Amino acid sequence: MIRLTVAAMAFGLLTACATAPMDAGSDDGSTASVDRDLSGVWKVMNRANYDLEAHPARHAMQLVKGPYTPLPDKRVVALGAVGAVPAGESVVREGSIPYTAEALVQRDENRANWIDRDPEVKCYQPGVPRATYMDFPLKIIQNDDAMLIVYEYANTMRNINLVDPGEAPIDSWMGQSYGYWDGNTFVVEVTAQNGRAWFDRSGNHMSAMGTVTERYTRIDSDHIRYEATIQDEETFTEPWTVEMTLYRLVGEDAQLQEFNCIEFVEELLYGHLRKEPLK
Amino acid sequence: MRSAMKFMIGASFAALALAGPAAAEIGEKWDPNYEPPRMADGTPSMQGIWTSASLTVLERGDQFNALVVPEAVAVAVETGAMAMKNSDNKPTDPDAPAPEAGGAGVGGYNTFWMDYGTKVARINGEVRTSWLVEPENGKLPWSEDGKNLLANLRKSFGENMDDPEIRSSGERCTVGFGSTGGPPMLNVLYNNNYQIVQESDTVAIVVEMNHNTRLVRMNDEHRPANMAGWLGDSVGKWEGDTLVVHSTNFHPGNAYRGAIRHRIYLTDDAEVVERFTRVSAEEIFYEFAVTDPEIYDQTWKGEMTLIAAEGPIYEYACHEGNYSLPGILGGARKEEADAAAAAAAVDTVTSDSSTTKRTVTRTYVNK
Repeated sequence: MIRLTVAAMAFGLLTACATAPMDAGSDDGSTASVDRDLSGVWKVMNRANYDLEAHPARHAMQLVKGPYTPLPDKRVVALGAVGAVPAGESVVREGSIPYTAEALVQRDENRANWIDRDPEVKCYQPGVPRATYMDFPLKIIQNDDAMLIVYEYANTMRNINLVDPGEAPIDSWMGQSYGYWDGNTFVVEVTAQNGRAWFDRSGNHMSAMGTVTERYTRIDSDHIRYEATIQDEETFTEPWTVEMTLYRLVGEDAQLQEFNCIEFVEELLYGHLRKEPLK
Repeated sequence: MRSAMKFMIGASFAALALAGPAAAEIGEKWDPNYEPPRMADGTPSMQGIWTSASLTVLERGDQFNALVVPEAVAVAVETGAMAMKNSDNKPTDPDAPAPEAGGAGVGGYNTFWMDYGTKVARINGEVRTSWLVEPENGKLPWSEDGKNLLANLRKSFGENMDDPEIRSSGERCTVGFGSTGGPPMLNVLYNNNYQIVQESDTVAIVVEMNHNTRLVRMNDEHRPANMAGWLGDSVGKWEGDTLVVHSTNFHPGNAYRGAIRHRIYLTDDAEVVERFTRVSAEEIFYEFAVTDPEIYDQTWKGEMTLIAAEGPIYEYACHEGNYSLPGILGGARKEEADAAAAAAAVDTVTSDSSTTKRTVTRTYVNK
């Protein structure tokens, strides 16, 4: 449980203070320290990973032109209903993503070539914020001195720096995270992502110049309000924000499982290089 | 050179002593009354960034005849290692000629990225020649079956490039090689860094290679055996101020854990017991015991220290840039195609090589 201000932590004043100056309490009468406890296993219940924007159900992620309507591409047709896309409301506060004209063309190209281009298909690390709303839970491990977010998908993890680490020396898939409390909202500034991760299976994207500012706010014991504001002048005409709810997993099975998908994609990536390729 | 370095080491020790006269230095005899920092629940804090980089390795080299050797031996080893490191760190020669066409190898440029440490381990003030303390000879107690298995595996890695799933975990990027993620967590030539973060019901051990996090469930039972994990299934408990972690149910993909300086093999139901104890401001005493009767004639035990390191740990994205595995497989296919073409030429039969060409020129999906 985080009970101290970032400044106090920076000076190593790690004594057992029950409250900190910035604690504002909360409307529901719970203690500030509970409000600031994000630890647990969490998961979204939405379709954002298919498409951040509002989308009706459709045949498949990868479509081809049919005689009357778009139809599943032959590479996914055998999946039938399992490969169909469920509908979802927009999780973009502004409704749609404010792309520049050029970046919108890129998004549409990405979408048309989803199966070849989506990093998720290849089990690549998902970047932020996509890691939050994939169909896998995440676990937040938190105390006064440290915070980790561990994602079930692809052994992905983030160390949240609680002291400003300055500019990251190098770009990476998950970027560099610096987190601090703003009242009872935990703010994480994510920089230095390499721009290769997508936001969803619909080709939404940003460049390596993009930054993401996440806000985690406990709204009661089992729900976190999650917001992520994306800024990238190379890709968007203005900042935009996704917002959604994280639900706490409860009970004996509230654990992360292992999803080390690297071995699951070896046939896709390297199958053609087998001595005897599968028939 | 040597005397200059001795002077530098002496000078830095003096500076450290001035800075913190109360704290024991890394490698010195531990203070039995050392009081570890504690978490809010009163348990000792293992939190922080730690490294196992060391010139000491799992098994004792034949040049040593004892687990504990005099300080002068350590200094000699460290002096040699420093010379090698200086050579590794030499800048790349911009005028180096291209490798000879058809040569056996392209050679190396430099090895600045190696990070195998600069010090021989000193555990509770003792200079150690191996992590292994049991068996007493400092060698892994391979059973006959274990020896045969290891020999066959090494032969296979050298010869069999038919399919991706029979290649080593390091080439596949499925998990860090050489048991860097453990358990037991062993030091390899680079990326020997860990981050530990604790809660009352979970101890998370982040392993730099390959961004794996071992979630030790405290006071819990093991999952069913079919729920195998690449780092096994770990449950922990506190025995006094020592964190004791029991692991089993290992994924068969991480059975062989090979590195340049050691090779081990753990079957699915091997058992590993680790003990983590804070012994100074900058050291965790890390003990491990491995039991796997199919592979080893006895339980083997090791003692290591994890040493506080400066963070942060950066991302080790192996799979996303894996050119090694397609290179190995593609190279083998090219050799086969060349051999087939040569054989066909000898037979003076016109070969239809369209199949071969398609195989070797196809672009990789992940490029």
